[in-house]
Amino acid sequence: MNSKPITLPSEDERHRLLQSPVNGEGLMLLFEAGLTWLMTNQQYVNSLNVFPVPDGDTGTNMVLTMQAALNEASQTPSRNVGEMARMFAQGALMGARGNSGVILSQIWRGFARALDHYETMDNGLFMRALQEARNTAYKGVVRPVEGTILTVIKDITSAAEVEATQTTKLSELLVAIVEAGDASVKTTPELLPILKQAGVVDSGGTGLFFIFEGMLRLIQGQPLDVTTAKVKPLSELELANTLETIEEGQDYEVVIDFAPKAEFRLEDYYEGLETIGTSIQVGEGEGIYRMHIHTLLDKRYEPIAYTEAVGTVKKIMMENLQDQMNQRQAEEEPVKCAPINAGEIGVVAVSPGVGLSKIFASLGAAAIVEGGQTMNPSVKELVAAFENLPTDRIIILPNNKNIILAAQNAAKVSVKQIGIIPTRNAPQGFAAMLRLVPDGTLEENEEAMNEAITEVHTGEITVATRTVEIEGVQVEKGEVIGLYDGKLTISASSVEEALKALFGKVDMGEFERITLFYGEGMTQTRVNTLVDQVRKDYPGHEIEVHDGGQPHYQLIIAFE
Amino acid sequence: MTTQENAQGKIYILPQAIKTVARHSALQSYGVISLAPANLAESVGRFVNKDADFGIEVETDADGVNISLNLIIEYGLRIRTVTDSVAESVKYNVEKTIGIPVKRVDVNVRGLRISNPD
Repeated sequence: MNSKPITLPSEDERHRLLQSPVNGEGLMLLFEAGLTWLMTNQQYVNSLNVFPVPDGDTGTNMVLTMQAALNEASQTPSRNVGEMARMFAQGALMGARGNSGVILSQIWRGFARALDHYETMDNGLFMRALQEARNTAYKGVVRPVEGTILTVIKDITSAAEVEATQTTKLSELLVAIVEAGDASVKTTPELLPILKQAGVVDSGGTGLFFIFEGMLRLIQGQPLDVTTAKVKPLSELELANTLETIEEGQDYEVVIDFAPKAEFRLEDYYEGLETIGTSIQVGEGEGIYRMHIHTLLDKRYEPIAYTEAVGTVKKIMMENLQDQMNQRQAEEEPVKCAPINAGEIGVVAVSPGVGLSKIFASLGAAAIVEGGQTMNPSVKELVAAFENLPTDRIIILPNNKNIILAAQNAAKVSVKQIGIIPTRNAPQGFAAMLRLVPDGTLEENEEAMNEAITEVHTGEITVATRTVEIEGVQVEKGEVIGLYDGKLTISASSVEEALKALFGKVDMGEFERITLFYGEGMTQTRVNTLVDQVRKDYPGHEIEVHDGGQPHYQLIIAFE
Repeated sequence: MTTQENAQGKIYILPQAIKTVARHSALQSYGVISLAPANLAESVGRFVNKDADFGIEVETDADGVNISLNLIIEYGLRIRTVTDSVAESVKYNVEKTIGIPVKRVDVNVRGLRISNPD
């Protein structure tokens, strides 16, 4: 960015220029200070940008717009505020960048219109200029969105309307403007839900606030090139993601919002926190700090006492991480495979549901990869599953025709010897597993498994995802359909009817044992009723039932 | 019409739905005063039906949607910046709410409204 840092004029000079009423030079100086302070805080403003499009460029766009405005105004410096503001607004219009830049250019356009033909600006005229700025800004949009820069200019103007009648001092008017701007920025998340969700205040409104605060800082003689807050904005604290894994010493998560005392020093505060716990994050948002820490059970109240010593505690949130982790593990306990002996054949089975995974594990699979109809595992996941097994002889059971290709590619990228049995569903996978001879040769096992999968027949019951007619079976979308060895065989209006119809099509006399794996949408009671009926209809068959947990397929049926 | 498919069935998104999102997004965009009829048929339609939908055309094909906006812009703004913002905002909101890629957003500025003569 090609910008010259402005050099503050001497105390006397500044005093002379900013004496109310302000002339053109004084106004120019105020604009310069606004721009400089905005530039100092540019990255912070960028980090807040989530609306209307989250592209993180609001601060940059506002700075570029202000720079263009100032360049234009400095071409023809004038001692007359009307002329000076007109050039400034002209420059802002020509150089407006981004949505916030366009609104800012409208603000200065209205501002300049009010100053037209005036030599100097007193508080009354400043107030009228803000009114005109606000009105002009609102005219530019048919559906103004509140909680944005528009709200901030409106609130600033309301404060100026009151204060301008009370004081003739520019510094006092600016104090009122800056205070109102600060309060207004803080209300933006309440007005615009998307800001609240993201945990930020509005970026454009904040940028406008910095411009006016820069003007005030100039008058008060405060530095414009040192940002007051170098810490991350609250939005960058990814509190939600810190729970992925917890290490030792992280029993509790404590989050404290607090307003620090004037003498607060962030570095010292950090140092103290480090003696209490880990995963420390401190963020600042508009005067309120948020501290995040993980501590041991017996230290969980220490961050509170510690923070109370350095500021006013506003809010405390505490969570028992250990308990949360335990709960999570209980909910999704991964299926464990028994370790295999070194050098034995290791079978990797792809399984679409927890219940099916458990069966594969109990049959002796060395590793399970989650995957199925609509969630094909990647080659990388497949390789990762067997790469660390203590053997170089692997058999993969894809258990779905869409995964066979991924299995073949996994075989290509690995140095291990790999056999792929083209199992198209879980029952075929089970049949293959039953033939596993772990210390046999890979070839013998492949041969036996390939034979096994031709001996088991599979029925599947699911809901049609589209309207279609295949081999004389007419299916409407949403109807229940039955497949036999992958071929569409029947359609029906319910799972119960479909099962009955499917059994009607199959030569049941050929089989002795029927195993049902129930999945998505099937409750225990519904399955029990269903199975009772099957047992009644086919008293000569052995009927088994398992919770397969697979998605999409209400039932998978193995015929043996 | 765009079609997507999930495990339960197909999802059809008609141009009208895309238009509604695009219209709302365009009118919230700074500097946009209104939509403008794109052609004679739309102009006539406005008289017949006050709620007639005009100013936005949507074309969809297999890999996304093309949107064309006809707008009246506030006089005194940098038009290029306003049109860039509108296009970006419409693209973002349509993609976010409808979930289909927006390939093009063409913006036709049909006129300017002067509310602040300087």
